Amino acid sequence: MDCREIQESLLESFEGTLSALEKSQLDRHLAECPECKQFAVLQSQLDLRLREEIAAPQLSSGFRAGLLAHIARQRREPWPDWLPDVAHFAGSGVAIGLCTLLLPLPVPVVLGTGALVAFLTYALQTLLLSALERQIE
Amino acid sequence: MTDEDVQNLLRRHRFAAALELLLDRYQQKVFRSVYSILKEAGRAEEVTQDVFLKMWQVLPDYDGRASLSTWLYTIARNTSLSALRAESYRKTLAMEDFQPPAANWEAGPQQLEIKQLVQRLPEVQQQVITLFYLQDRSVEDVAQMLDLPEGTVKSHLHRARRALADMVRR
Repeated sequence: MDCREIQESLLESFEGTLSALEKSQLDRHLAECPECKQFAVLQSQLDLRLREEIAAPQLSSGFRAGLLAHIARQRREPWPDWLPDVAHFAGSGVAIGLCTLLLPLPVPVVLGTGALVAFLTYALQTLLLSALERQIE
Repeated sequence: MTDEDVQNLLRRHRFAAALELLLDRYQQKVFRSVYSILKEAGRAEEVTQDVFLKMWQVLPDYDGRASLSTWLYTIARNTSLSALRAESYRKTLAMEDFQPPAANWEAGPQQLEIKQLVQRLPEVQQQVITLFYLQDRSVEDVAQMLDLPEGTVKSHLHRARRALADMVRR
């Protein structure tokens, strides 16, 4: 085996997959080749430092409880977040349209009043929903 | 607990019980996988929660074609990469403050910040070598997490080790 192959074997040894035969070939070569020996020393030092410094972080103790609480909240929600908003503005649009057609009032007055009422009821709906969410939590 | 146990629960539509088993088996591994991409434990924990929330939403659609681990690690990888892209601007700013370590052979690798040297490797090598050490030096686990053949993982590992040695010698 040449130096390149020996160095590959050495790198493989850090993965724990070297056979006994490959290990003895590696040891024999390292005893005779200062360049590969230096490479081996450096790689061993690097391996040690990597083991020490790349420590596995741990999830916080509250991770699982937090995740399951989040999922429980999602399961309680009967509709997506955006649905009440869309339903409100769609309903308001239809109501304003009908008022424009049916009421004997000038169109700008109906549109203006309708928009004002739509935004006021939207604000009321938002307040009620957030109060409800707080109560659920 | 095996993947087969989880699949049995899924077949019986016992999703909450399946989730508990998946958390027992994979929460730490998924967290490490996310951490290897984001490199920040706090952010990695948030993204790990997102991964399991996404998994929970699609759990009823799991058809068993891919193994549970492959499926879960794919969700983890995609979610982490999305989070990384969203934070790319912040990371770019952080890189401006990065000072390469003054490496020299005499100092020896023990005096150098190995993590800083790892950050100078190509992205895939960084991820492979980080996961290798996070996962108790298991090439098989890393291959599974990154959906790469074991030979490719070894090849990235060897290149990373040679590159790190070159940086230290310089």
